[in-house]
Amino acid sequence: MFDVMPDRVPWYVVGPGLGVLIGALFVLANQPLGASGAYLQTAGLVRQKTDVAVWRVWYFVGMFAGGLVVSQVLREGAEVRSGYDVLREALPLGLVIPLVFAGAIVMGYGAGTAGGCTSGHGLCGTSQRSPASFVVTATFMATAIATTGVLHLLTGGDL
Amino acid sequence: MSSLDSKRMNAIGLLFGMLFGGLLAGANLHEYDTIHAMLSLEEPDVFLLMASAIAVSAPALWWLERRGVVTPLGGKLKLSRSKPEAHHLKGGALFGLGWAVAGTCPAPALVMVSSGAMLGLVAIAGLFIGLQLSQRDRTDAGQGDGEHRELVEV
Repeated sequence: MFDVMPDRVPWYVVGPGLGVLIGALFVLANQPLGASGAYLQTAGLVRQKTDVAVWRVWYFVGMFAGGLVVSQVLREGAEVRSGYDVLREALPLGLVIPLVFAGAIVMGYGAGTAGGCTSGHGLCGTSQRSPASFVVTATFMATAIATTGVLHLLTGGDL
Repeated sequence: MSSLDSKRMNAIGLLFGMLFGGLLAGANLHEYDTIHAMLSLEEPDVFLLMASAIAVSAPALWWLERRGVVTPLGGKLKLSRSKPEAHHLKGGALFGLGWAVAGTCPAPALVMVSSGAMLGLVAIAGLFIGLQLSQRDRTDAGQGDGEHRELVEV
């Protein structure tokens, strides 16, 4: 709408900003700034479980809303699109959809099994100097980079 | 009733979610292309972003815990440090595999949809299913990590 936000805010602004946000949530509520836990709490609320951390559901809604504010209000406003530009150039949409779906299921299963994702373990766990988080982060970085390399070979260099 | 169940905590949740989602959108972490370029080792930006976040929060948390800070809503600040176990390796390996294929992770997938990229809905659906399946298969009592830890009773 207003086009006041750069197309890509540099890492040296967003990175330390995330660091401050992580510190602030710990100072206020002794809680980590994770994401996969919010999915579990939101699913728990939908399934009418009793021990739901409701604030995590608000937090889940907030992540969506924050993205909306930046991409639609502070920036020019993105149109409805499929996303996944590079992947779609390499593969047909009929293959992209099942691939993204299957990838997300494996990713969700992994996050639940490990007890956290890129934010929970990768940022907050490492910030707390948790040995388990260092192991999880090193493992997912390694398998993600290796998988990307395999995809590159399988698509003949298109990806 | 813990203070984490309060209206104030809900407001903080919404605010921090918005700031988190806004920062992710700012750095374009919701774009497949950004994550793919990172994992292809084509550009160092996201690695530097994560490292600089930790470089700020790790010393801050260390200092705050040492000072014995009592948080207004979550009791005494207590960082969680757990020993690596087999499920950490298994979960981490699967997470990395899925992350590389789907090109997004749990928080950026939400931002993907709010930025108009509708395939993000496919990723979000898959994440919900995968996370539910993992809870069904869970055998250990506590994940013992930073994120999925139990609520602190105050």
